[in-house]
Amino acid sequence: MLDDLIALLTDFTQDWDLDLAGPIGADTRLLADLGFESIDIIQLVVAIQEELLKRKLPFDRLLMKDGRYVDDLRVGEIADYIERSLAAA
Amino acid sequence: MAYADLPGVRLAYQQLGEGPDLIFVHGLGANRAYWFPIALQLQARYRITLFDLRGHGYSSRPASGYRPQDFALDLLGLMDHLGIAEAALAGHSYGGAAALEAAVMAPARVRELALFDARIARLQPLMRLHDAPRISAVEHRLAAGLPALDWARLPQVGYLFLEAAARQCLAGVSLAGQAEAVPFGEGRGAQRAARAWLDLLEQTRAREQMDDPGASVEQLRSRLTQPVLLMYGGASRCRPSGLALQALLPQARYEEIAEAGHFFPTRQPERVLAGLRALLDTPALAA
Repeated sequence: MLDDLIALLTDFTQDWDLDLAGPIGADTRLLADLGFESIDIIQLVVAIQEELLKRKLPFDRLLMKDGRYVDDLRVGEIADYIERSLAAA
Repeated sequence: MAYADLPGVRLAYQQLGEGPDLIFVHGLGANRAYWFPIALQLQARYRITLFDLRGHGYSSRPASGYRPQDFALDLLGLMDHLGIAEAALAGHSYGGAAALEAAVMAPARVRELALFDARIARLQPLMRLHDAPRISAVEHRLAAGLPALDWARLPQVGYLFLEAAARQCLAGVSLAGQAEAVPFGEGRGAQRAARAWLDLLEQTRAREQMDDPGASVEQLRSRLTQPVLLMYGGASRCRPSGLALQALLPQARYEEIAEAGHFFPTRQPERVLAGLRALLDTPALAA
């Protein structure tokens, strides 16, 4: 899952002129490293569901805490969440 | 990816939840993430559609089509694309003006209408600096960023604050408390949002088209018969529009949030949720 997610993220951000020190990995942060904004997070979730999973998952539990967007997310956290959710389903 | 290809524009959208249709419309300079936290709170009872206005978010940026009635045609076109015959519409700021135009164009398709601090140019043609009871600290700093302008004499300051904020954001100036006054967010993502707003102003006809007055007073009066919620900030420059709509629409419920500025939906979502629930739960509408 992590490799698929990294491939999707690399494609997702290809036009963004990022100045990353290295390739996207499990420790890459969406906001601090990739310059995500809240719109990019929800667009990424749509992309994960439609292109990677072909199904919906309750991503709001990952994205929102107490009605606000979380401060940041690491790529590895998203991959873990997806794997846990799929295993529980 | 969830896109609707309409004539001349590609709109990015997403849907969540199940139930009667409820469509949220964001304001200028924002995107569909603006309504996402509130949409999550309502997804257990409604099928919610969020989309990016043309020129915003992940939608395309056509060279023209930025009058309120153009945005309304996009909204109705998206409803057609998604097979939504009728829906409740909720819009913040310019998104409210777009929702209002859609309700005038297709009254039977708009079950309920909720406007949150929407300035309606037909009823409030000018928006001057001193139309607000006080000028916030952030606004003072934003105005200082475009010192060549005589802000107190300008007829339209609403979009100018957005432009000033975008230019300061791109210059790397971070304004404390700017979430009160602008929707760009923070950090590097905010710079992309700010750049997108300036591109819209510089590469399209948006600047000249946005102040189009839209539907006539007579059309507003005669065609809007559905339940309407008008929620406005007591300290917002858009308040005169809310009061004018209240005078025009006898069925409308007007609620004012004391001391609140233009962006109260992000700062006081519980008020917005309570207002929406009251509007959408009206028993007469269940029949």
